[in-house]
Amino acid sequence: MKLYVCIKQVPDVDAPIQIKNGTLIQDTDRMVLNAYDASAVEEALVLTEEHEGEVEVVMVGPEGSKETIRKALAMGADKATHIQTDGDVDYNSATYAKILATFFEDKEYDIIACGKQSQDTDAGLAGSMMAEHLNLPYATNAVGLSIEDSNLIVKRQGDAGQEIIELPSSCLVTCSNDMNEPRIPSLKGIMKSKKKPMETVELSDLDIAEEDIKPNTKVTGHMEKPEREPGQKFEGDPEELAQKVANLLDEEANVI
Amino acid sequence: MSTLLTHIAISDGKIKRSSLEVLSRMHQLANEYGHDTEAVIIDEQPSQYVDEVAKYGASTIYTIENPIFKNHRNTPLLKALSAVMDEANPYIFGFGSTEGTKDILGALAANQDAAVLSDVSEFDLIDDGISATRPVMAAKILSENEAHGDQILVSVRSGSYDLNESQTDAETVNIDFSIDEDKIQSTLREIIGADSDKIDLSEAETIVAAGRGAKDEEGQDLINELASTLNAGIGASRALTEAGVMDPSLQIGQTGKVVSPQLYIAVGISGAIQHVAGMANSKVIVAINKDPDAPIFDIADYGIVGDLYKVLPPFIEELKTIKS
Ligand SMILES: Cc1cc2nc3c(=O)[nH]c(=O)nc-3n(C[C@H](O)[C@H](O)[C@H](O)COP(=O)(O)OP(=O)(O)OC[C@H]3O[C@@H](n4cnc5c(N)ncnc54)[C@H](O)[C@@H]3O)c2cc1C
Repeated sequence: MKLYVCIKQVPDVDAPIQIKNGTLIQDTDRMVLNAYDASAVEEALVLTEEHEGEVEVVMVGPEGSKETIRKALAMGADKATHIQTDGDVDYNSATYAKILATFFEDKEYDIIACGKQSQDTDAGLAGSMMAEHLNLPYATNAVGLSIEDSNLIVKRQGDAGQEIIELPSSCLVTCSNDMNEPRIPSLKGIMKSKKKPMETVELSDLDIAEEDIKPNTKVTGHMEKPEREPGQKFEGDPEELAQKVANLLDEEANVI
Repeated sequence: MSTLLTHIAISDGKIKRSSLEVLSRMHQLANEYGHDTEAVIIDEQPSQYVDEVAKYGASTIYTIENPIFKNHRNTPLLKALSAVMDEANPYIFGFGSTEGTKDILGALAANQDAAVLSDVSEFDLIDDGISATRPVMAAKILSENEAHGDQILVSVRSGSYDLNESQTDAETVNIDFSIDEDKIQSTLREIIGADSDKIDLSEAETIVAAGRGAKDEEGQDLINELASTLNAGIGASRALTEAGVMDPSLQIGQTGKVVSPQLYIAVGISGAIQHVAGMANSKVIVAINKDPDAPIFDIADYGIVGDLYKVLPPFIEELKTIKS
């Protein structure tokens, strides 16, 4: 079984965020593997541990994202392809999807997995875009994966409950980070990762010209969220507080 | 004059309120800029929803009827949406940001070569496109965006716009649609339903959300009683869904549902950033927590510092009195 996992390097959303003149200042020392992609890597590793096979990670990103690729290799992925791009370009989901779909065109695989969204943009579009370009059956927002008779069984969170979907090989799935706890690379894993094959590919190797991937959306600025003001906080006798707040909800807030 | 088209999502036999919010906004924009408001209903029996949709300003309502739309499946829905786009040629195609929408929006954009902005909290028309605000970085900050092109798809977070009635004599246009089920490669085996009588969180007017502080049986009983007193949906923090106390579909937050009710009551929830990302848009927030420094109090309109086991029984009693 051959699994590809598409991964992305993103700024750590838990790090303090700074905005200067409408621009997001990203702390380049705190770039991490997108949490949803980490879950996709974890799930791919579990599937190949159970059913044999190979996991290859693919990342589109600038030179500096190699560290994040190593992280996925240290978790246990067998090899990696780095589709190296110019760090200054503002790609959107459509750009990533086109680059990755072009990369996969001549590849053979059973499953392509990726995170359901990227933590920095929260767009959640690239997975299904890629599936459409590659004409693959797909499922998004997986919260559980298993293999039965070479079909991928996906449990996904839908609007009306959890849907169990059966996909034939080859297929694509996007993963929620609710499905597992991604493993922390062991020291041995980290040592081994340095010897694992990592191929670097340029966009020109894929026959992609800049105008083919010109984004049709752009981010024009960033701003702080208007803070929610703390309201009234009450301490004291529980019974009195309960009655007071119930009446405020009725008479002041008008929501009862 | 161009067409502003809205997809009306149906789940469990009900129109998703978020779709009508988008339709209300689209109608407002259409009036302001001189465009047409149109809507599309794709369902087993779409005609039953036409009257309701016509209340929100659509002059043309497209319907696609097929038994295959009984449950959400991405392949047939994509085909149907592509067919509607061919017929209506929308300039802007709006969606409520439901799980169903998230499943197909990227694929539809790729299929139609349209620009797309997902999960926006505000949008407006500009020359040759739209501008939109989106919460990003785990909803910690907002980004300003533009999308340009002949066709633009946009999905809108629920609760971003109010419902606005504007009755029309809508013309209904049925679009022929067939699909060979054998050719669909993915199979829907089953749906492990949240019961259909449960209140859908992304649409609920009132939500009672339980956190780790209310994880035992007594706490859960109090949560259930409070919710039934207020006719509220029940939500949970990740602490409870992970512990298996609550169904994963009830999780609210960054990785769970994004909700925007009129009233959100957080019981025994600390207010971690990932939880707040899913509920900060609630109109009124009440927090009940025994820790006076719990971060949830920073965003609560009404905070009760106290033990939930002591606060909830008199709270429920008082609410019952008010309600009667
Ligand atoms: C990548 C990622 C994604 C995540 N996504 C989500 C998400 O979508 N949704 C989510 O909720 N979390 C999410 N989390 C988890 C989140 O960080 C918190 O761990 C979680 O929200 C905590 O849940 P809690 O507030 O119920 O529990 P705790 O943080 O343990 O808080 C319990 C609170 O209950 C109070 N309490 C205890 N007993 C009582 C009592 N008797 N009376 C009154 N108060 C009492 C305590 O004072 C405390 O404040 C995510 C985390 C990560 C890393």
